[in-house]
Amino acid sequence: MFWNKSKEDKGSDRGQNQSQQNQQNQQSQQNQQKDQTQTKTATPLTLENLKQKLAKMDDAEIIEREPNADLKVTFIYIRTLVNQERLNESVIEPLNHWTHNSVFDTLSIAKIKSISTLEEALEQLLSGSVIIYDVFYEQWWTVHLDIALSRSIESSETETILYGPKDSFSEQIDQNITLIRRRLPITELKTESFNVGSMSKTTIVLMYIEGLTNPEIISIARDKLSSIDFDLFLESSNVAAFMEEHPHSIFPQFQQTDRPDVCVYSLGLGKLTLLVNNTPFALIAPITFFHHFQSPEDYIHRWIIASFLRTLRFISYFVSITLIPMYVALTTHHYQMMPMQILFVVMESRLNLPFTPFWEAFLILATLEIIKEASLRMPTKSGQTLGVIGGIVIGQAAVQAEFASKVLIVLAGIATIASFLVPNYLMTKSHAIIQFVFLVLSSFLGVLGIVIGMIAFLAHLSAITSLKQPYFAPLAPFHGRDWIDLFIRGHLPWMKTRPVYLHPLKKWRTSRRR
Amino acid sequence: MSAFSLFEKKSTFGSVYVILIVNRLQLLYFLFITPMFLVQPYMIWAIIAVGILSQLNLVLLSKWFTSNFAAMGYQGFVKLLGERTVRFFAFIGLFPILIKIVVTTLHYVGTISQFIFPSMKISWLIFFVFGISCFVASHGMENTIRFVVIAYLCVFWMILLFFYPFFTPPIAALHDLYPLIPTEWSLHSWYALLFLWSAFSGPEYLICLTPWLDNNQKMLKYLTIGNILTLLEYLIVFIASLFFFGSNYLSKTNYPVVNMVRFLQSPIFERIDIILISVDLFHFVFNIAILLLFFYGATRISLKRLEKQTTPIGLISIYVAIFVFMFILQKWFWRPGTSDINIWVTIEMWSGAFTYLLVPAFLMIAIRRKGRVQ
Repeated sequence: MFWNKSKEDKGSDRGQNQSQQNQQNQQSQQNQQKDQTQTKTATPLTLENLKQKLAKMDDAEIIEREPNADLKVTFIYIRTLVNQERLNESVIEPLNHWTHNSVFDTLSIAKIKSISTLEEALEQLLSGSVIIYDVFYEQWWTVHLDIALSRSIESSETETILYGPKDSFSEQIDQNITLIRRRLPITELKTESFNVGSMSKTTIVLMYIEGLTNPEIISIARDKLSSIDFDLFLESSNVAAFMEEHPHSIFPQFQQTDRPDVCVYSLGLGKLTLLVNNTPFALIAPITFFHHFQSPEDYIHRWIIASFLRTLRFISYFVSITLIPMYVALTTHHYQMMPMQILFVVMESRLNLPFTPFWEAFLILATLEIIKEASLRMPTKSGQTLGVIGGIVIGQAAVQAEFASKVLIVLAGIATIASFLVPNYLMTKSHAIIQFVFLVLSSFLGVLGIVIGMIAFLAHLSAITSLKQPYFAPLAPFHGRDWIDLFIRGHLPWMKTRPVYLHPLKKWRTSRRR
Repeated sequence: MSAFSLFEKKSTFGSVYVILIVNRLQLLYFLFITPMFLVQPYMIWAIIAVGILSQLNLVLLSKWFTSNFAAMGYQGFVKLLGERTVRFFAFIGLFPILIKIVVTTLHYVGTISQFIFPSMKISWLIFFVFGISCFVASHGMENTIRFVVIAYLCVFWMILLFFYPFFTPPIAALHDLYPLIPTEWSLHSWYALLFLWSAFSGPEYLICLTPWLDNNQKMLKYLTIGNILTLLEYLIVFIASLFFFGSNYLSKTNYPVVNMVRFLQSPIFERIDIILISVDLFHFVFNIAILLLFFYGATRISLKRLEKQTTPIGLISIYVAIFVFMFILQKWFWRPGTSDINIWVTIEMWSGAFTYLLVPAFLMIAIRRKGRVQ
């Protein structure tokens, strides 16, 4: 899984399980073409070539051993990438007792294969393998002995829940696959490996359930992954950026999660999961706008409570983007809309303000965004200081200095807190831009401006796609059956069908009906 | 989206879309002003009668959708009528579409101007309302069709607001609904019937959506549901306005529906009408956007450019041309305020009535004739 095989190597591999062979067989045509091109331009593997390439690499080790008078072996490896203990136990120690057998027969370990080109050797070296040169038989072997550097399995910090599974992904892709496989012990769960990044050589694993996920969606994902051409991929969102169909949209078209249970639930519905090496965040697609409002806890609570909480999130999002623009609309254009008592309160609080409602709201919102961004960037210990300063600056000083009205401060507080109810962090970031756009429109056209903004917002949402599937489903396109898990979270036994917009091969979630 | 393809067909649209499109196309600005044309309580029967007539027309229209020609999309029209005739009709069709776009926009803008922004320059309002419609249309036919669901969900609840205050005592009094049998029949009554027929027009434009609609479904059933929804909405609004104003006062008021809504109150907002008129923009934007796409499509057919890729320049040229036409019309030839004296509304009314009467019947005759020839 961690290296590309050429056709002639397949026979000499040992210990690769069937699924890994399937993965390799299912590699896209483009990858095969790449391999063929590489083979054509391959440089012959010699010790001199290798030494030349490893020059000025302080952590590169080239060790020569002579177990017998007529036997000689050379080990080449990168010290910082190889597990030294396992190297001693699995390779050096057995080769100390080497007879005239081949290295392949002497080393009884799984991850051994023969290589013949310099390119293969370098790729193996840099992925944590030891290259063994058998001088007697003039053969080159690689043994994969990488250091499994990884955090322990911890609970998610970005998607915290009170009840439910606490484990989350780490930076180790194999460990992440294990977490998913443990929850989905079925052979239909397929994993296809891709390598992206000309410098980072990042491994991406595409996971789906065969016979359930729509093959067209799998094919779209495969094509997009195969066509990626860039040097560095350090995070899963980097991969998403190359796969998204609407890069200029402010809405994320891939769901990022570090929770294995979320991935498994999505796979079970007929979606894809992309695991990216060296990042704990997996990508899930195709998704809809409404998925950003779903929390794993929705499926733990009683359905009525879960539905209430989910509806509350949608309302909060709506409030967070329209409350301040509505204040500007009312105070600038539609005083007559306010009941007399409220009008007095608003007028009294705005009596000595030097700014128009728009500039007042704009400055307060800009200050809030600055504080929110600062609180993320500052060390945790400074967070409290920031909170106090932010609270005083916004809460008291602005009102006392008569830069902002008390009413606006209250509304800004409500809008900001409401924006935090959206479980998806990336989604909460988009709300600020929408809020500013609505603010400008409301200052020009009042309520009509907000409605114009809302139309543009909804028209945009209904036009974008995630892996070519509609982003605003099941609302537009309309799929009434999927509404059972939309604004409300229906009783779990009622949710017998998979989402229509995914066009899964198996419609029913119950085993009695297919 | 790699290419700018406005009329690409990736999927077909089913029952819900047919129902909602029929309903939305039949409820334009007419809903705002219908009661002041109908006035007399016995016109309730006129609404029902025109609704039934509209239903008969929809039966004819459904025959088109179930024919083999419809399944072929544009080529079906060509096979049925010949390419030259199709291009000719596409060219003729530009005029009612243009009139509908312009009158719908200007009428809605007039309502905003009267009730929300009396001191704002109307040109700015036209710019914003037309601009957002162009934005929606720019997403292509499929996305605009999808937008009907959003438009419907955003405005359908407004009709429910009429029930509580207007259909309950003290406002609702049975004697406001008398006489239910016509005692006199004047020219104005015929004019009201024409107005109603025009109000029910709109579904004839579904023929422009033939390639996108699923022809295998029970079209008549869904067209009927859409038509019934429209009928009910007109009835509810008219009866509510009879209760609220009484027939004597109804003829003397402008924009009766909006004026009724001004009496609605909530604990948070006093002038709900401002919100309701603004939110109704969803409905108008859908209609204007889809008509803009029809206009662009018809222009391409007339100019024999159907095989060529749609271009942003082509679309923008259409937008600019219509905007300029609308601007000139509003500046020098449009009399804001009451609609009964506005010549453009009258033209639109006649053109709507004619297209709704002729298009389904013409297609039906053409199909029959073609069948007989073959």
